[in-house]
Amino acid sequence: MPIQKGKLRKKELTINMGPQHPATHGVLRLELDIDGETVVKCTPHVGYLHRGTEKLGENRTYLSALPLTDRLDYISSMANNVGYCLAVERLFGIEAPERAKFIRTMASEMSRISSHLLWLGTHALDIGAMTVFLYAFKEREWILDLFEMLTGARLTVTYPRIGGVKADVSEEFLSSLYKFTDEFPKRIEEYETLIDQNRIWLQRTKNIGIISAEEAVNWGLTGPMLRGSGVDYDLRKYCPYDAYDQVEFDVPLGKCGDTYDRYRCRMEEMLQSNRIIRQCIEKLPQGPIMSPDAPKLTLPPKERVQKDMEAMIQHFVLITKGPITAPDGEMYSAIEAPKGELGFYFISDGTGRPYRMRLRSPSFVHASILPKLCEGSLVADVIANIGTIDIVLGECDR
Amino acid sequence: MGVKKIIKTVFMLEILKGMSLTFRALFRRPVTRQYPKHKREPFAGFRGLHALTRRPDGDAVCVGCGLCAAICPSQCIKIYTSEGADHKKVVDRYEIEVLRCLYCGLCVEACPFKAVVMTDIYEYSSFTRQELYMTKDKLLANWDRFSEKRKKTYFGSFWKPLFTDFSGSDKQAKLQDVSKAKKHEDIYLEAGK
Ligand code: SF4
Ligand code: SF4
Repeated sequence: MPIQKGKLRKKELTINMGPQHPATHGVLRLELDIDGETVVKCTPHVGYLHRGTEKLGENRTYLSALPLTDRLDYISSMANNVGYCLAVERLFGIEAPERAKFIRTMASEMSRISSHLLWLGTHALDIGAMTVFLYAFKEREWILDLFEMLTGARLTVTYPRIGGVKADVSEEFLSSLYKFTDEFPKRIEEYETLIDQNRIWLQRTKNIGIISAEEAVNWGLTGPMLRGSGVDYDLRKYCPYDAYDQVEFDVPLGKCGDTYDRYRCRMEEMLQSNRIIRQCIEKLPQGPIMSPDAPKLTLPPKERVQKDMEAMIQHFVLITKGPITAPDGEMYSAIEAPKGELGFYFISDGTGRPYRMRLRSPSFVHASILPKLCEGSLVADVIANIGTIDIVLGECDR
Repeated sequence: MGVKKIIKTVFMLEILKGMSLTFRALFRRPVTRQYPKHKREPFAGFRGLHALTRRPDGDAVCVGCGLCAAICPSQCIKIYTSEGADHKKVVDRYEIEVLRCLYCGLCVEACPFKAVVMTDIYEYSSFTRQELYMTKDKLLANWDRFSEKRKKTYFGSFWKPLFTDFSGSDKQAKLQDVSKAKKHEDIYLEAGK
């Protein structure tokens, strides 16, 4: 029977991708208007993982708000911890000692590697390369074991402290980590053998999700998302914190800003992180691991607490009231987390708790570019685009 | 199109390369730990289930100062005290709701008397919430279970102290012999004792 013209209603189909879709890496919900296989409109909905970290931070002292930051970007919790501690240190005007700085640098680079490995594995899995996922997770497991050796926890590390780090590194840890850095470049080569030239991989990533340098800057992208488009911006290099000014590394840049370029950027970054870790281990100086010039901010050693009245009072005040030496005012401090620029903004009113704690999380900014990437592309490429922006919803929804 | 490129395209060289890698992986040592059968010993300093340490006379060391409850970010420690004989503070109840705990270890750092500690026990799942609401007796029992296994004093050997010497002694770790370091497979496949 011939279809009569004018009787057939044509309309875009609206589908929900997520919040439980396995390829959305968490609880991201995309509302897609599709015309056949082409996405006409894409609206991201965030907030499914909102826990009110900013508000919680206002009700905790500077000391005890630290574990909350673990739960932001939970696959690179070390970088968040370092960012938080650095921000508070800058607020109070203190500085961690040299040894602590090197340890922190080392640990944040470890978390960068583990974050990028997870990204590589899941991104490849989404696009259809299962083997890389298994291989990448093997190395990630190694890093997590090293984290356990260093901090006592695999994922939520809570390792840095305001004014230093919690515990000193052991010899066993250093040599195991050095061994890891020996092996790791070979593993990167393996991943590259699997996908770098693979024609399916190339077809799924080349010229998909192109972001020009100008657009990237205008959208406020940071991290590998920005560098993939060829903009040379890395806080570690141009606004160095911790020990980054004492180690050598390059900032890898992409050319045309497509998914493949961002993949290349992150792979190179892992090698550079490897290089930084090696240098940190080799150059690790001797000395204290907690800032000795900040007795009002760091918990005194237990031996002194039990014997010395003053130390005991300081211990009690610090825990119950927080560091009450905070200056009035506001400040912003940012670090280069694996995903991009992670910023902490504090307004302090002189009490032991921040009056306002604001987080600038890269994932939230990056999620906002999804409509631009997806509109006009195929539904299958939506998955590639979600993978390439590398968001973690814990950080996005805070 | 050059001859090389044609050969590459027709014979799928890059895919064959990848395949040969996965084939070679067949002969490598497996890295999967068969979990319930093989358990890796947690590393020193692992942050697991809480415990309350005992005094030599058998009671808990805890004096009920409440510092651990004050610093706890998830506010899951509850302490109830009362006045005993000689105006002494008596800890009636000491409870940790471990389901809400973040395992951050701040309570251990805050306690001035090393009374609350974290053990390396990590297998304590349960069907009921009540079982995971740790009362004082359960926490003391955790300590017995842990110290029996370790047979060593807890602090120093297990929990890494927060502060090492500020003077920067020579004992601090630096990179030594890498050849002695264990490969990941060895660490990973180590069976529990
Ligand atoms: S480990 Fe952290 S969250 Fe758990 S009881 Fe101790 S302070 Fe509270
Ligand atoms: S466990 Fe320690 S910090 Fe907590 S109440 Fe007892 S003595 Fe005080």
